Amino acid sequence: MAWRRILIGFVLAVAVIGIAQVSNRYTAFIIASMAAAAISAMSLNVVIGFCGQISFAQGALMGVGAYVAGNLGNAGVGLPSLLGAGVAGMLVCTLIGLPALRLRGLYFAIATLAAQFIIEYLFKLLQPWTNGVSGLSISPLKVFGTPLSTDQQYATLAVATLFLSWLVLDRICTVDLGRAFRVVREGELAARGMGIDVRRTKLGAFMISGFFAGLSGGLVGFISRLANPEGFELVLSVDITAMIIVGGLGSLPGSIIGAAFVTLLPEVTERLGEALHLASDRLSAIREIIFGLLIIVFLVLEPRGLAALFGRLGRAVKRRMSGRRDAAAKSTTVKTETEGRTT
Amino acid sequence: MKTIFGAMALGMGLAAATPAAADITVCIWGTITGPDALVNGMAYGFRDYFQYLNQTKGGIAGQKINTPLFDGRYKLDEELKNYRRCVDEEKAVLVGGWSTGAAKALRDQINTDQVPYLADSFSADVVNPEKYPYEFIAGATYEQQLLIGLRDLAKKGGKKVILLYADNEYGRGPINNVIKSGAIKDLGLTVADRIEFRYDTQDLTAQMLRVKAAAPDLVYIQASTPQAIVALRDAAKAGLPASLIMGNMYNISPAIPKQLGAAAEGFRSIQMYSEYGAKIPAQQEIDAYAQKNEVERKDVYFMKGWFKGKVVAAAIEAAIKKAGGKVPEDLAAFRKEVRAGLEGLKDFDVGGITPPVNYADHQGSKQARISEIKNGAYVPVGEWIQTK
Repeated sequence: MAWRRILIGFVLAVAVIGIAQVSNRYTAFIIASMAAAAISAMSLNVVIGFCGQISFAQGALMGVGAYVAGNLGNAGVGLPSLLGAGVAGMLVCTLIGLPALRLRGLYFAIATLAAQFIIEYLFKLLQPWTNGVSGLSISPLKVFGTPLSTDQQYATLAVATLFLSWLVLDRICTVDLGRAFRVVREGELAARGMGIDVRRTKLGAFMISGFFAGLSGGLVGFISRLANPEGFELVLSVDITAMIIVGGLGSLPGSIIGAAFVTLLPEVTERLGEALHLASDRLSAIREIIFGLLIIVFLVLEPRGLAALFGRLGRAVKRRMSGRRDAAAKSTTVKTETEGRTT
Repeated sequence: MKTIFGAMALGMGLAAATPAAADITVCIWGTITGPDALVNGMAYGFRDYFQYLNQTKGGIAGQKINTPLFDGRYKLDEELKNYRRCVDEEKAVLVGGWSTGAAKALRDQINTDQVPYLADSFSADVVNPEKYPYEFIAGATYEQQLLIGLRDLAKKGGKKVILLYADNEYGRGPINNVIKSGAIKDLGLTVADRIEFRYDTQDLTAQMLRVKAAAPDLVYIQASTPQAIVALRDAAKAGLPASLIMGNMYNISPAIPKQLGAAAEGFRSIQMYSEYGAKIPAQQEIDAYAQKNEVERKDVYFMKGWFKGKVVAAAIEAAIKKAGGKVPEDLAAFRKEVRAGLEGLKDFDVGGITPPVNYADHQGSKQARISEIKNGAYVPVGEWIQTK
């Protein structure tokens, strides 16, 4: 990874943490939720965007992370509880992936959908670990023995974790393994022909994705202080999928942008509606309609998502600026030449 | 990333631009859109009572009440977000929350913030004045409602009950609590069967055939209106009368007789608040309000909302009175006094929505009566019964 990109990512993370520190709890909570969602979106993008395997189990995997982190946190384990959540997510992915990855395309997608429902049911059933339908109350996360008590602290933790996750996933996606993901996505037959172990590659993508989904779920658990089965239903998987569609399939920055967009769009719509004095029920309906319409607009006009749109905009601005510079340089040269001739 | 900051700046800018409309804010959220939106009269009624006070009495002690109403969408993260907005941005003196999940997730936060929180949940898990001194509910718990139904059955000589409930906390939690308490045995009743179903169920035919085979004297549903509609529809298919079935206070929606017609005749529910249109003083207030404003929901849930408005207004009034007739400048102190004001309500007249209430135990009314669908409308079939 180019150092320049790492530096830009670091500066952005520090800036967002800075905003969280000077914000009220409401804004800090949104930043924390957004960062946790972005980790989950990146992890899903590894499977869908990079490796071409559609998974609907993201919500359940996040749930596994939330319960494991919650139990570890309640037992007094500090930051490693987040790692435990990631490992649990990875293990569950291995269990799902070993049989399910024998299947391809839509069949694999349906297998993950089944896994989502089974895991949801287990959340209700495994009472000693999940507290059943009542949900597991989670104690504040202890970092070096000190419990995190404010939303600003959780926002800092979530953004820092997002930055580290991006570093790791970006590295994975640029080495041979990441290239193998993309070859598998483009064509399994061609991948086999190139000597890639397709099943192992797909399992690798699924396990890596599971780790970060679990990590994200762990963060969500600590941020909301409750892990309950209703919080990790299929609708969450759909939300995360929407984030990567809006942000851009096969793009890690796109996942982050998508998560930010999906998290912030309702907020911005709500504030605008309030400024326009719209009634609550109308405001809610407008919020949903705008969200749905924008997804359709992206799918039709820019299927590669906001990341591609920003990329294009950036290039256009660059071209225009360099065009202006060239023109300015040209006119200066002409001017100098003319002046030279005159003298 | 530019979008993130742009949108955040826009959001924060708008937040900062929002004017402080009044010195007193009671911040509310409900399910404006979401799975239990059918009962969101609880949020509208709560808000409308303060609008009524603003319009007819100039607010409380001369101060208008600001009542922002947000949509919690029955999603935990949305509700947690709303809570933070209410406490930090809106500077609410009291927060009107919605679900059991949120009330539980926020317990420690509420203790730390020391802000009075009136939940729409009836879960026994959120009522504990010693552990959670700032959390309040507005009526009998689900467990107490179930016991009313069971007492009624025992009184009429019934023996066997079937418990039909949703597979979430709202469904399973109270059923487990009542069974564990031994109250069913104490009443001389037996549980013929326990039938759990998915909260989003669309068909309960198989379950109703199972009920028929067990031949119970009562089927008690612990679920919401949409599930009660499915249960009653499929009970009719199985040849079971609606009079065999009883639901909790969330099954007293006009949607049930409206959608099912004759199949709903005889269905009974626990009624904790007077029905909309009852001849009580509170209804006169609502009618006066309705002359100039639109009432979003004309049902018993709106009455619950109005009830909450009345008790919270009384608590705020008591707090202002204690501060010498002025709104305390220190919000933290004001919140504490509102909490004390709520706890101090004794034999408080709520205009007939419920019998007079005491709020020392953070529950308010603990009385309920049974209501039955007769000729397409809910009709109370008994007097108010004390649940404890």
